[in-house]
Amino acid sequence: MGTIHLFRKPQRSFFGKLLREFRLVAADRRSWKILLFGVINLICTGFLLMWCSSTNSIALTAYTYLTIFDLFSLMTCLISYWVTMRKPSPVYSFGFERLEVLAVFASTVLAQLGALFILKESAERFLEQPEIHTGRLLVGTFVALSFNLFTMLSIRNKPFAYVSEAASTSWLQEHVADLSRSLCGIIPGLSSIFLPRMNPFVLIDLAGAFALCITYMLIEINNYFAVDTASAIAIALMTFGTMYPMSVYSGKVLLQTTPPHVIGQLDKLIREAGSVHVRIRRDANEQMVLAHVTNRLYTLVSTLTVQIFKDDWIRPALLSGPVAANVLNFSDHHIIPMPLLKGADDLNPVTSTPAKPSSPPPEFSFNTPGKNVNPVILLNTQTRPYGFGLNHGHTPYSNMLNQGLGVPGIGATQGLRTGFTNIPSRYGTNNRIGQPRP
Amino acid sequence: MEEKYGGDVLSGPGGGGGGLGPVDLPSARLTKYIVLLCFTKFLKAVGLFESYDLLKAVHIVQFIFILKLGTAFFMVLFQKPFSSGKTITKHQWIKIFKHAVAGCIISLLWFFGLTLCGPLRTLLLFEHSDIVVISLLSVLFTSSGGGPAKTRGAAFFIIAVICLLLFDNDDLMAKMAEHPEGHHDSALTHMLYTAIAFLGVADHKGGVLLLVLALCCKVGFHTASRKLSIDVGGAKRLQALSHLVSVLLLCPWVIVLSVTTESKVESWFSLIMPFATVIFFVMILDFYVDSICSVKMEVSKCARYGSFPIFISALLFGNFWTHPITDQLRAMNKAAHQESTEHVLSGGVVVSAIFFILSANILSSPSKRGQKGTLIGYSPEGTPLYNFMGDAFQHSSQSIPRFIKESLKQILEESDSRQIFYFLCLNLLFTFVELFYGVLTNSLGLISDGFHMLFDCSALVMGLFAALMSRWKATRIFSYGYGRIEILSGFINGLFLIVIAFFVFMESVARLIDPPELDTHMLTPVSVGGLIVNLIGICAFSHAHSHAHGASQGSCHSSDHNHSHHMHGHSDHGHGHSHGSAGGGMNANMRGVFLHVLADTLGSIGVIVSTILIEQFGWFIADPLCSLFIAILIFLSVVPLIKDACQVLLLRLPPEYEKELHIALEKIQKIEGLISYRDPHFWRHSASIVAGTIHIQVTSDVLEQRIVQQVTGILKDAGVNNLTIQVEKEAYFQHMSGLSTGFHDVLAMTKQMESMKYCKDGTYIM
Repeated sequence: MGTIHLFRKPQRSFFGKLLREFRLVAADRRSWKILLFGVINLICTGFLLMWCSSTNSIALTAYTYLTIFDLFSLMTCLISYWVTMRKPSPVYSFGFERLEVLAVFASTVLAQLGALFILKESAERFLEQPEIHTGRLLVGTFVALSFNLFTMLSIRNKPFAYVSEAASTSWLQEHVADLSRSLCGIIPGLSSIFLPRMNPFVLIDLAGAFALCITYMLIEINNYFAVDTASAIAIALMTFGTMYPMSVYSGKVLLQTTPPHVIGQLDKLIREAGSVHVRIRRDANEQMVLAHVTNRLYTLVSTLTVQIFKDDWIRPALLSGPVAANVLNFSDHHIIPMPLLKGADDLNPVTSTPAKPSSPPPEFSFNTPGKNVNPVILLNTQTRPYGFGLNHGHTPYSNMLNQGLGVPGIGATQGLRTGFTNIPSRYGTNNRIGQPRP
Repeated sequence: MEEKYGGDVLSGPGGGGGGLGPVDLPSARLTKYIVLLCFTKFLKAVGLFESYDLLKAVHIVQFIFILKLGTAFFMVLFQKPFSSGKTITKHQWIKIFKHAVAGCIISLLWFFGLTLCGPLRTLLLFEHSDIVVISLLSVLFTSSGGGPAKTRGAAFFIIAVICLLLFDNDDLMAKMAEHPEGHHDSALTHMLYTAIAFLGVADHKGGVLLLVLALCCKVGFHTASRKLSIDVGGAKRLQALSHLVSVLLLCPWVIVLSVTTESKVESWFSLIMPFATVIFFVMILDFYVDSICSVKMEVSKCARYGSFPIFISALLFGNFWTHPITDQLRAMNKAAHQESTEHVLSGGVVVSAIFFILSANILSSPSKRGQKGTLIGYSPEGTPLYNFMGDAFQHSSQSIPRFIKESLKQILEESDSRQIFYFLCLNLLFTFVELFYGVLTNSLGLISDGFHMLFDCSALVMGLFAALMSRWKATRIFSYGYGRIEILSGFINGLFLIVIAFFVFMESVARLIDPPELDTHMLTPVSVGGLIVNLIGICAFSHAHSHAHGASQGSCHSSDHNHSHHMHGHSDHGHGHSHGSAGGGMNANMRGVFLHVLADTLGSIGVIVSTILIEQFGWFIADPLCSLFIAILIFLSVVPLIKDACQVLLLRLPPEYEKELHIALEKIQKIEGLISYRDPHFWRHSASIVAGTIHIQVTSDVLEQRIVQQVTGILKDAGVNNLTIQVEKEAYFQHMSGLSTGFHDVLAMTKQMESMKYCKDGTYIM
């Protein structure tokens, strides 16, 4: 099922190429551990599948699928190593970081499809409940549980760790958090153990093992074979709950949406800029979309934005052919002092422009904002423009102060600074940390 | 929680105020009420067990009549509803009459459930306070349930009911289920019995369902009667009057009954004592203590302290009721201990009792989030502000028929979604016919095939959703529009097919090793039916495909290239492959759906072929071989779809535009005044959008808008229809460097990169 990297190279001898890429990855010592775990995983899964058919238990099968999911996550980890080694090729001009996202998405979706299959199977089993042999059930459970936990805790899986933290919490996590909060209300000493966000994979492994233990107990005691089906459904639902937020998160990255944290920053920025600005900003935005930017507005905007988010400016202009003109006087900053006559109205574009870029740069991969080949340079080009704009804006703003309109202006500059330098720097560190020792 | 938000909640518009006042009462004063409540609940359990014994002898309608009569007698005595309070108008009398009718029906259901599934289960199911049921319903049917704790409580409740339904092997009841006709005393009970028998469940399970229904009715009844009780002047007065009216109501029925049927009771005199206990414990004492406690304590606390003792005592009595120890308790001393093991304790009942206790505990606890207040922001003083308006105002939910109508209209608007929808309908129809027929003939094979079809339908549903969503307008988050969802859905569909192929492969390998015996006579008609349905689907979708293909030829500039690409695909790959790669013209979503239908068709064909082989030649090995072959075929046909979707998702340069873009970039190079370009990125965003970005360095004397227009024109010709250009001049880099000293290194890098790009430009793209 290695579909994710089977088709990395669609040329004729892709097995040869695959082998080559594989050697490239295998040359790295860090990947040896992963390969070792992968081999153990395969053996383990084989045994588990055998036990599944011998016990005839669908709950154990559902739990085995979690082990298979572990295999996918190991593969994803390998891919993320491979990605750091690859340079962007001409056809994949953005580089291969997205492959990591795609791998995460594919593995979470595959896990959910497996859970769907389990649901279907157990619906059939409700009609005719076969007999379950408990012989290997408990052994299988503990082998799978210990192996899963061992893999999760000993391998630092960068992409999955990132996704599981960035995605919204699953319902399983929420319930555990709620329970542990009430537990900590009784015994406050436990708060350091239970209160931090639980790792969703560890959680689902433990919960699945718990369900299987109950199954074993009830079948042993009273031959309630239907429990097996019920706990299979429970495990499948938990798998859905755990995987769904992650696949939504990575799917959104793949769909080129605006990352939510950027939106948050933008909102904050607008709020800091003051409500007047927010209102005006909207007006200005509409104007831009309609390409009815006045000459004065446009000079101010172009000076402030062209260097910054020039590319974003062009889009609305393109929509309406003739006004494409407004895009480009970025070097004519000597015109700047002029627009001050208009006061607040002229200020709009200042705040409006930062908002605008929010839509176009979609998140490229987990740690990289926008579509950047070279993260370092790009980050700087993105941060810098704001600073740059500020520098130029200073003259106007000080004038504004004299006119009594300065307060919002200052707010705006503050917002720009705090808001936007933060994002890239965070990414920057992430990147830097991520590359040397993932 | 409470302390933290306490002040704010109180300052809020009264939402949480009601629950907060009594918290401060010293618990010592509450203790006696709690003890009283517990004791009453215990006695109520005794009363219900007693009434189960009574109901074996007395007809249910007579029983209820006597109960109501006794209660009305006592309550009229205590409350004096006629001498005190304001007079009751005619309108109110009508309402009281309705109240009495509803009360009679509910107690009829309740006691009928009692006869069906015994006192223990009745107590577990029916003795939930209103607040528990209301919060359960609000979790189940509204989105604002009140956090994960409530959801857990609701889940526990449902698990408990399911435990009672499935894991409670109440064997004796099953034996009693074959009730002779003579057993039914009246037309009414007979009607209820037949209704339950029609549902096809055993009697005690029917009783469980009946009691759940009665519980919901009871809660609704209590809520509805609240206003009336205020109008009439107190709940107690209403109760007294209502009981009186229901006595009058039941009177003629009881008279008719006692005249027409002969009673099983030997002496009514010996029953006075048991009836008195039941009336006193179940009706009067419970009612008065409940009303006192709900005044003195919060409702939630009342519910919590009330539910625990009643469930525990129910469990205890369930075990010990027939035991000699409890003989003293039993007011109705039956002469012979018929070794009545009916409705005994079983594992399922104990588990469900535990779950019921837990869920009652959780659901009755006050929700922690104040009320449903949502945080709006912070006041100038820094205290949080909440909005207590509730969600009722916020989501004005449209009515369901209208919603269905509108989404249907949306679906039928466009050919893609329309086709998927029609085919989905056809498929579902076939599935349900199959399921129904399977249930009718009790054929497991048919039913499991039906489930398999449902499983397949999920892929169709996803395709339908994707086709719908892809037409949504672009939002702030989806800034390019939703078109890319189709590609993602195609990718997921591809993964789905791979999973299916994998499972078929595994199963066929298992069957190769150990070929099972199978009866083939039922398979053929089903698979022929499936084949016909799927063939219709293939016809429809391939028609759509050719249509889409033609349209794409008309609209896109590189049609000839496109076409040759396809021809290449045709000649290169084998037969099973041709369908998949021919689908290149349509979008990934439709391709995924098409492949799904194709896979199903292959499955039906495989079944037919293997059936023929088995019947003609007795080759049982043919079946696994066929499915092996099908699995491989499915896998091979999915490969191109997944490959294409992966390429799009990885933002690859669209292969069909490679040549044009290369030429276009060379053209751009030749534009006057242009020094160089860098970072040319082109990618397919969705089926209709090819997006691109490019940075251009120009000499300082060039007009930017001209350059932009030229570049735009060239790239538009090359097929890029969503373009972003950044024009950079010398001054740009100067400003960048002038910004701050910290950026010097960056400037150096930029310069370096610029020069590098300059010399490598020609070779940058290919």
